[in-house]
Amino acid sequence: MAEMLQPKNQNLRIEKTEYRLVFEKTGRARYISHLDLMRCFQRLFKRAGAPLWYTQGFNPHAYLMFPLALPLGTSSSVEILDIALTEPLGYDELCEKVNACAPEGLRLVSAAAPVMKHTEIAFAEYEVSFEQDGTEGSVLGQRFSDFLAQEKIEVEKRTKKRGVNLVDIRPHICLLSLSSEGAHADAGLRLPAGSEFNLNTNVVMEAFESFMGSSLDRICTKRTKILTKSLENFI
Amino acid sequence: MEEIRNKLEQLLLKTQKPARYIGGELGSVTKDKSRVDVRFAFCFPDVYDVGMSHLGMKILYGLKNAVPNYWCERVFMPEKDLEALMRENNIPLYALESLDPIKDFDFIGFTLQYELSFTNVLEMLDLAGLPVYARDRKGLTPIVVGGGPCVCNPEPIAPFFDLFILGEGEEVNLELMRLYEQMKPQHPTKEQFLREAAKIEGIYVPQFYDVTYNEDGTVAAITPNVPEAKPKIKKRVISDFDHAYYPDSFVVPFTSIVHDRVVVEVLRGCIRGCRFCQAGFIYRPFREKSINTIAGQTRTLCEQTGYEEVSLSSLSTSDHTRITELLTTLSDYTDNENINLSLPSLRIDTMSKEIVDRIAAVRKSGLTFAPEAGTQRLRDVINKNLTEEEILRTCRLAFSEGYQTVKLYFMLGLPDETDEDIEGIANLAQKVVDLYYETPKEQRGKSVQVSLSCATFVPKPFTPFEFEPQALPDEIRRKQGHLLDCIKSKKIKVSYHQMNVSVLEGVLARGDRRLADTIYCAWKKGCTLDSWDEHFRFDLWQEAFEECRTDTAFYANRRRAYDETAPWSHLDYLVSHEFFVRENKKAHEAKTTRNCAEGCSGCGIKKECGGVYCG
Repeated sequence: MAEMLQPKNQNLRIEKTEYRLVFEKTGRARYISHLDLMRCFQRLFKRAGAPLWYTQGFNPHAYLMFPLALPLGTSSSVEILDIALTEPLGYDELCEKVNACAPEGLRLVSAAAPVMKHTEIAFAEYEVSFEQDGTEGSVLGQRFSDFLAQEKIEVEKRTKKRGVNLVDIRPHICLLSLSSEGAHADAGLRLPAGSEFNLNTNVVMEAFESFMGSSLDRICTKRTKILTKSLENFI
Repeated sequence: MEEIRNKLEQLLLKTQKPARYIGGELGSVTKDKSRVDVRFAFCFPDVYDVGMSHLGMKILYGLKNAVPNYWCERVFMPEKDLEALMRENNIPLYALESLDPIKDFDFIGFTLQYELSFTNVLEMLDLAGLPVYARDRKGLTPIVVGGGPCVCNPEPIAPFFDLFILGEGEEVNLELMRLYEQMKPQHPTKEQFLREAAKIEGIYVPQFYDVTYNEDGTVAAITPNVPEAKPKIKKRVISDFDHAYYPDSFVVPFTSIVHDRVVVEVLRGCIRGCRFCQAGFIYRPFREKSINTIAGQTRTLCEQTGYEEVSLSSLSTSDHTRITELLTTLSDYTDNENINLSLPSLRIDTMSKEIVDRIAAVRKSGLTFAPEAGTQRLRDVINKNLTEEEILRTCRLAFSEGYQTVKLYFMLGLPDETDEDIEGIANLAQKVVDLYYETPKEQRGKSVQVSLSCATFVPKPFTPFEFEPQALPDEIRRKQGHLLDCIKSKKIKVSYHQMNVSVLEGVLARGDRRLADTIYCAWKKGCTLDSWDEHFRFDLWQEAFEECRTDTAFYANRRRAYDETAPWSHLDYLVSHEFFVRENKKAHEAKTTRNCAEGCSGCGIKKECGGVYCG
């Protein structure tokens, strides 16, 4: 009798082991969109022979969860991916298996059991390096510091309900460092992140460009930390 | 590379789906340049999403890269957003693996899958920084080559190419690259190389042939002008298909593409001989892979890619001599691995209950058939040996299994088509709807939808209809209107292809060398990505026709005499001219021809080509 009740979907099982993975997205892989990343990892686990746990609904699908999206083009080595497996695998073994068949630019850094809830994510830190042809990095850096010295930095925000309205982002920007070397200036920023309020580095840099009245020629952004409200690392 | 990469990285975020333009996918092959002797840029003249779905590219990519000192890379047509940025920032067309400009490669190869991609070839050559006409590219490299089905009449684009490869590429591509590898150290001129290449069977060097014309505009003669050029160039065939090269790894894209799954080719060629179908003749003879080979390739590719869907590719999968055993073997594996098995290209008359059950187990959504014509008489004209009873029997079976949508493909403008045949389309669709309502409520699905998709018939070279006039646009419009008038049920939906696209396709398909300047002119006016409705500019094409004094009716809407010299008459696709004439005559008598499995009809293909039913 029990055999007859066996679902056709062999992965439909109740037992699961949860994992919180930290991964790296660099180089060419930076251009994988959030949606594509989901599919990409799903295939990656399939190739690696890591048995993903499938959701128990009407339309079972592999459980993969990114608690914080990474903007297209930004690199990072602190990204979080939560998964569940139907059979437990050792943390190191899982990382090795996956990394052996991962595409260029994607790599698991570590695996552990999840400790915190997704809603605890409150901030993220970034390193933004930017250049403008014909402008010294030190001059650009000075301009950036002038930009942040403003009392208000208003940007247009589009919402579905109220159309376009102005938001002051200045109180949300925390400058951690500012330096320059040759042609580029480098800013360390802490910005709000997570489900409650999220501020993208693109928004900050666009505001900076409109403050300068000219556009930057190169911007490289790297996410360096994902933090809780009390500025602990999210684990 | 670094330069292109740096420039690109700043621009990609301004484009749609940038992951298409930067490479680095799993399965893509990178090599150490210093250890590579021959570099090949494999270009698909359409956007990534389409080109990455193409099986031929996967095969030839794997094949060439399996040779340690050859490196084959992928190149696609950029969308208009990136194209504009590339031109603005002086980024030449590059290959996805190395990000090197393709103008420095030894070979640039285009696969020509449909006529509407011709302008994209010019666009890609120009983006690469190369002159589009072969005569203006003086150096040895890059050697611009073309392959694929459109090469059966490459004349309209011949002046843009150094050489064409006729037929199946698995062997001849390597022979050509080997010849180049041998000759390269002696620094031959382009002509010296092409003369040697012309000796290889299946290689056609258009500049070695002079074309003369009669006063009425038809071709008088096509004559070789160097001793190395053969009067007739034969297409290549892989006779031992079961052991033909097949890749053990696919490039797995990051973005979703049109066919985003493992594809395993189960058979090549078709036994049917539908008279309108070019693929049915130019890919002859019918050859198949053994179940072991197919099962092994399925498993290997599923494991390598991590895809959860596998599709069997062929012109007619159900014609595999051991189809039931094949499906049983494959689904034992796929069911166990939680992989979907999808089976396109099934013929209605061979669908047994077992096969319907197999597909139904995967998903109960849709069933697609191609009756092509509305009445038995017209189906006999086109040799679509399929009866109304067979269509209805399968639909009855499908409805009782819970299927809810049926898609029926038809063509308008077929030879000898009358209004009765148009009414027959509506009648057949109505019978399918009625059949649904006759199915007991407890068996059938919630509702029914019958979709009719009506294409315009385009006569193609190397078919029995290559002599036929294409119906004029006004006549097609009238037929479309008549069909709509005949549809009574709300459960039937009708859709058409854009007609002007078929007009252009008709002209290009049977054109001659004089069309090259028209294509060039249309491209100069801004025609690219013609197969995309949002980019297709028929107005610009019409201007080009006018300026170049191209009479479209001469190419598309004229009946051609059996003894007229066709622009493609120096190319030999192994099916004889006499057979096509015989088939054309039978078509006008509405007489059918048996398929290869029922008995040979003497199309001219020799036993040595390895056909299952030949000889």
